[in-house]
Amino acid sequence: MRLRTILLILSLLALVSTAVGGIYYYYSLQESALVLARRRAAGQTEVLTNQISSFLSQNQKPVKALASLAELQRAAADPGEANLAAANLVLDRFQKALDVDVCYLLNRKGMTIASSNRRSLDSFVGHNFAFRPYFKQALAGKAAKYLALGTTSKKRGAYYSSPVLGPKGKIAGVAVIKAPISLLETSIVQGDMDATLLVGPHDVIFSSSRPEWVNKTLWPSTLEDWEAIARTRQFGEGPWPWSGIRRTGEHKVADQRGEEYLYYTRPVTNFPGWRVYYLTDLSMVTQWAFKPYVRTTGVVVLGLCIFAGLGVYFLYRKASQEINRRRSAELELRRSEERYRRLYHKTPALLHSIDPNGRLMNVSDYWAEAMGYSDQEVIGRRLVDFLTPASRRHAEREVLPRFFRTGNAKDISYQFVKKNGEVVDVLLSAIAERDDEGRMVNSLAVLVDVTALKHTEEELRQAQDKLSEYSRDLERQVRQRTREITSFMKYTPAVVYMKDADGRYIMVNSRFEELFEMSTERVWGNTVDSLFPPDIASRFHRYDQMVVRGKQPVQVEERIPQESGFNTYLSVRFPIINEIGEVSRICGIMLNITDLKRAQEKLRLLSGSIMESQEKERRAIARELHDELGQVLTALRIDAVWLRQRLAEADPKAGSRADNMCDLIDQTIIEVRGIATRLRPPALEDLGLVDALEWHTSDFERRTGIACVFKALQVPEVEDQLAIAAYRVAQEALTNVARHSGATDVEVVLGAEDGMLNLSVIDNGDGFSVELLSEGKELGIAGMRERASLAGGSLAIKSAPGRGTEVRLSVPLKPTAGETS
Amino acid sequence: MIKVLLADDHSIVRAGLRSLIEDTGDMEVLVEAADGREAIKQAMDNPVDVAVVDLSMPGMDGLEVINRLTASKPELPIIVLTMHEEEQYVVRSISAGAKGYITKRSAPEQLVSAIRQVHGGGRYLSQEAAELLALRVARGERGSPLDSLSNREVQVLRALALGQTNREIAEAYHISVKTVDTYRFRLLKKLNLRNNADLSRFAISQGLVEP
Repeated sequence: MRLRTILLILSLLALVSTAVGGIYYYYSLQESALVLARRRAAGQTEVLTNQISSFLSQNQKPVKALASLAELQRAAADPGEANLAAANLVLDRFQKALDVDVCYLLNRKGMTIASSNRRSLDSFVGHNFAFRPYFKQALAGKAAKYLALGTTSKKRGAYYSSPVLGPKGKIAGVAVIKAPISLLETSIVQGDMDATLLVGPHDVIFSSSRPEWVNKTLWPSTLEDWEAIARTRQFGEGPWPWSGIRRTGEHKVADQRGEEYLYYTRPVTNFPGWRVYYLTDLSMVTQWAFKPYVRTTGVVVLGLCIFAGLGVYFLYRKASQEINRRRSAELELRRSEERYRRLYHKTPALLHSIDPNGRLMNVSDYWAEAMGYSDQEVIGRRLVDFLTPASRRHAEREVLPRFFRTGNAKDISYQFVKKNGEVVDVLLSAIAERDDEGRMVNSLAVLVDVTALKHTEEELRQAQDKLSEYSRDLERQVRQRTREITSFMKYTPAVVYMKDADGRYIMVNSRFEELFEMSTERVWGNTVDSLFPPDIASRFHRYDQMVVRGKQPVQVEERIPQESGFNTYLSVRFPIINEIGEVSRICGIMLNITDLKRAQEKLRLLSGSIMESQEKERRAIARELHDELGQVLTALRIDAVWLRQRLAEADPKAGSRADNMCDLIDQTIIEVRGIATRLRPPALEDLGLVDALEWHTSDFERRTGIACVFKALQVPEVEDQLAIAAYRVAQEALTNVARHSGATDVEVVLGAEDGMLNLSVIDNGDGFSVELLSEGKELGIAGMRERASLAGGSLAIKSAPGRGTEVRLSVPLKPTAGETS
Repeated sequence: MIKVLLADDHSIVRAGLRSLIEDTGDMEVLVEAADGREAIKQAMDNPVDVAVVDLSMPGMDGLEVINRLTASKPELPIIVLTMHEEEQYVVRSISAGAKGYITKRSAPEQLVSAIRQVHGGGRYLSQEAAELLALRVARGERGSPLDSLSNREVQVLRALALGQTNREIAEAYHISVKTVDTYRFRLLKKLNLRNNADLSRFAISQGLVEP
């Protein structure tokens, strides 16, 4: 860690020294750049002032020449029209020849009397310029030059004046040339990185390479300054605001935007009151100073810096890696030692080490634990102390001397004594560790506890015995179960067989042999195709396929021809599925139910004939009631009415008796008719099924208040038995509707289709779960079914809770022959 | 004098009826018959004006008798006299050609006026029988909107269409006023109508009542 810190500090120092060198170099460069800039400014300024001087002296001679011309002298002395015209001509010529703005002539009072611009709008003629210094100087006899903003033309210009002498040598006027200052401006406006200013009296900027500064004061000005400027009228009428330039240090100024400049100033030669200022942009100075260096030295310095940085970094990495490597190696060594120690101590094996004297130097934890000692109790003691006397002798006499000599021992059988006195059988193998001179210094012995092994061997033997006993028992059980199954197969009244998945018989019972008159030997291994006539074979085959495909039992009733005629069998075929879900066996059990079937049929016929005779009986009674009793009552009523009418007036008491009699007879007639109708509705016989049902449904509605719609859809004449069956079913179904359904509407539909008579009774009542229907309990469904089946048809009930109920009877219109026989 | 043929298989009934008829003074039972065959024979052989025939007689049933008589002697009006009160018999009898229909129970009160009415060329039907006939005619073809209505509903519909009050209807059909209202409500719902006026229009459109 310390080494790393040192390295870190060293690298930092290297970087710091490089940086300090760089900074020092940077400042020295900047300093020299400033010196250079100052020198350059001085040079530039000198050139500029000289240029301005020469510009100002440019028109001095021409103005003298102009003033000395006779035309002007005449005009000044005698401003007659002819003289002025001549003077104007001269002025025009000069103006053109010199390419100046204006040439003009002032009289002694300063008034313009002739001018080259007399025809233009800003003509000077008539203007007085007596206030101009150039006029005053010229009047004093000296030529003058002057820079100002024109009061008439509002144009800046350079004015040159010279006195015009009159006839007697007296000054009669002043000749003036006004030249444009464009030439001056060109010399000022030069250089892109610098700013040049021509500053006049009162620090007013007359011209500058920065147009925004023109006609402003260089330094902040006071009100007095302003008045002084205004008085001279040299710079127009103002205002002359401050340019915003302020001093920030020696030879340094800043403009409004805060940009700093280096400045150098110098008065214009031969033109007192005027100065030239030269401003050099400081940032440009720096840039300009560095440009060449950045291109050459800069790259070199940067390269050096990067190289130095990389070098430091690389070396630092190398050193760090070396440190890390050493540390991890050290750690690994320590870990390895620790591992070895742990391995030695914690390994679940009996390990010990002895020194050349046969004393224990080390034992593994497991060793100590197995022997029942603690480490302290064994370390330093002789190994032989822990052996049984016999083993000790064997060790001392043979094993140990040989081991010290050869350096290894293998599978030595010892008996150790534990602290608690128990004896442990072990097999010992050991190896000696020698130093460079071949002396034994240490050893490692591995002990295998064979006590448990011996014990296990014994247990294994016992387990084997038990296993064989189990298998004998199992065998016995299998034999027993086989006997049982065989007995069942033998004595069952059913035909039983089993086939493999390919349909080959692998087992049949004696009933099978009897039924098909085939011995087991004949059947075994054959399929139905080779055993049975084609029609039976194909039927059996079809059922087998259903079992194999559906993997489910198939139950059918089938008829098999026998000597005594066709017998009916109830046969169940089922698959036996193996572990992987395939059908491995097809089994069949067939029970002869011919007798049962016959009994059922007999019962059916009996039930039919009972029902028939019941109907017959009912009809007879109904007729009897209706015809005999009914007619008698009718006759009785006629007489009673007659009596009532007769007695009504003669004997009112007897009349009311007769009246009661009539009522009684009426009630009796209704009752008798009711009984007869319930027994057997006469309409059924007299008018047929449709009318009987129509009457019954409307009677039903009348009695129960449940709306009952009856629809008959093209029903042909129906045979008597059938009509009774249909009528009774409808009657029963409607009774159920009235008693249980809670319906408000019921529809009875009678129709014929495809030779079948269909009767439906559909209600909108509570409905019920068809699965929960207990047949014949109270709904009379068993009776309806019985009637349906007697008529050779069927009865279906569709219902669900809350969905209403539909009872549907379907019977063939013409009874099919043979169905009931 | 109206000459009547009386056909009934029960002599005591015949005796009773005969006394009913002859009590009037302007009618007489010209001949009697105990079964259908005899009835036809007597009707053909004698100048009877009205035949009163029981529907259920041995040998040949009443409907058959009516059929044959209307075929061979169409000018003879037949009154059906029967124990049966089921309306279906009425329909059959009338369609077979009978001019009147009365139950034996109501014979003492109605037979005489029935004979007079048919002899005068009219018909004699109980109110219920007339309604049933109307319904049969209206339902003549399948697919009629009336198919979804029960008989009683059609009856109530007709009564309402004729402008009868709930109470009148209840009395006529021996049901409670509340039940009549239930039928009315069911009718409106089944036929998707709003009020009694709609019901009347519907009944007229179906030919249940005369406009």
